[in-house]
Amino acid sequence: MALALFVCVVIVLMAGFPVALTLAGTSLVFAAIGLITGQFDAAFLGSIPNRLYGIMTNDTLVAVPLFIFMGITLERAKIAEALLDALSRAFSRGSGGLGIAVVLVGMLLAASTGIVGATVVTMGLLSLPTMLKRGYAPSVATGTICAAGTLGQIIPPSIVLVLLGDVLSAANQQAQIASGNYSGKTISVGDLFAGALLPGLMLVGLYLAWLIWLAWRQPTLMPAPTEAQRAPLGAGQFIRALLAPLVLIIMVLGSILTGKATPTEAAGVGAAGALGLAALRGSLNIAALEDIMQRTVRVTSMVFLILIGASIFALVFRGYDGDVAVHALLADLPGGMWSAFVVVMLVMFLLGFVLDFIEITFVVVPIVGPVLLGLGIDPIWLGVMIAINLQTSFLTPPFGFALFYLRGVAPASVTTGDLYRGVIPFIIIQLLAMLVLALVPQIATWLPSVIYG
Amino acid sequence: MTSTRRRSSLQRINAGLGRAVAWLTLLMVINVVAVIVARDLFGFGRIWMQELTTWLHACIFLLGIGYTLQHNEHVRVDIFYQRMRARTRAWIDLVGVLVLLLPVAGIVLWMSWDYVFGTRGSWAGFETSSQAGGLPYPFPSIAKTLMLVMPALLGLQGLLMAADAVTTLRQDRQDSNTEHSE
Repeated sequence: MALALFVCVVIVLMAGFPVALTLAGTSLVFAAIGLITGQFDAAFLGSIPNRLYGIMTNDTLVAVPLFIFMGITLERAKIAEALLDALSRAFSRGSGGLGIAVVLVGMLLAASTGIVGATVVTMGLLSLPTMLKRGYAPSVATGTICAAGTLGQIIPPSIVLVLLGDVLSAANQQAQIASGNYSGKTISVGDLFAGALLPGLMLVGLYLAWLIWLAWRQPTLMPAPTEAQRAPLGAGQFIRALLAPLVLIIMVLGSILTGKATPTEAAGVGAAGALGLAALRGSLNIAALEDIMQRTVRVTSMVFLILIGASIFALVFRGYDGDVAVHALLADLPGGMWSAFVVVMLVMFLLGFVLDFIEITFVVVPIVGPVLLGLGIDPIWLGVMIAINLQTSFLTPPFGFALFYLRGVAPASVTTGDLYRGVIPFIIIQLLAMLVLALVPQIATWLPSVIYG
Repeated sequence: MTSTRRRSSLQRINAGLGRAVAWLTLLMVINVVAVIVARDLFGFGRIWMQELTTWLHACIFLLGIGYTLQHNEHVRVDIFYQRMRARTRAWIDLVGVLVLLLPVAGIVLWMSWDYVFGTRGSWAGFETSSQAGGLPYPFPSIAKTLMLVMPALLGLQGLLMAADAVTTLRQDRQDSNTEHSE
């Protein structure tokens, strides 16, 4: 019955009614059937208010609207445009400079809302026309944009990492209680930020290495700007466009990693700093502020309704002993921990074709997390692997989110074949990164252990 | 005509509320910064100030969920939805509201009622923060009351969404009828 619920939810989701309401509504239909047949205990629905109040008072998730506020302010102030412009000028000497600039902008700023579609569309509108105008091969341009647009998701401080950190921390506690370990290590959002930093930078490094190699071997695919297109970068512009946002992001991230501030405090200061930057650039007035605030409300509400819907789904799923079934299924696989891990990763990869990062974090991770962690997988490493895995899923043809959304904003001169060909090298890089992380888990676990002991 | 007018005045509820609630996000940013400045510069820390951030956060999304539906910004799996005809989409929205949205709003409202207004609920107990020096009465009760306001606003907006879907379906039928008669 629990499995039927899961399958039904995924099928009903395809119809396109809002995800959060589909999750909760379909679960309620199953609960109603179970109440009639006597298979379902109404007490599970009775804990809805407790769950809802838990979401309202969750101290970790308070950081989410503040990060969203910061991201939307930076976007509204056209910081990304200015950053891309400044970086591409800084790298205008050789071929491939613009591609490198796009990757760096993706790393720094793409994570504003945690919605893959939105960031890829933003990056696409921002850089695709310029890249094509400069004579970049369409496949190289689109591949770079897809990879860079999804990259921001897994580099701290991103919203999905806050959400994933909160869910993993709960799953970790559950796993410890189940194994009778009451004094185990707790993990926090700060831990996951620290854990994701080096793997994220490793990915950036690999992307850049690939682009530089390609520019060197086949410069015609990504030509250097002509003399007329090249514009010098003034010192003032450099500071305003590049240094200011860089300092802001390093400050926010640094204060969390060094433990000087909680993620909520850092996000609040980041939001205030972003407002300051916007004012500095002269793009802040009452209308702009109202737009920022209203969009913050909408994105925040969207995220939290999914969380509410997912927790109603989780209650019904547990009411049908779904957690027990999943545990039995995963724990009894031949091959132990690794085969359970690979199965979960494959399922998430496939779900990534239809569900966004936030939904998978709220729906799937609470179900499988405690089982995997109970088998002895490190929670931080698991979080990082989930993040890279989902990013890969969003890039993979034919269903990858990123491709789908970039198609929507790309001109007709760019074929779907270009899109598919363009992402292949980046998918290979992703798989390579996951392999490296599987062989050397310290890349993810070392930094948190140094910082938090 | 009157039904259109009634509908547009009902639309104003969530629209106005959304605009008002938006200011709470700025208040939240200011409050977080104020907490840090007060603590680090003046050594002044109050639990209620920290709790106010969480309280504002809860108010924002509980009051914003209906408003977000009005803007159609609750994410959908739109791989297929995006390519459907307006008529099919209207059917999905209509059935979705009746079978999914309204039951969800109803059950949250029903289950939370005693939690807030029951004899052992939040208001009856003059609830204050569980922490000493935390938010006083009636702040926690106000937040809990929003647990009922949220599904009410969501349900209202859902009904308006269903009404719009019906309009689309009627329009569509009229159009195809006139096409046939020509």
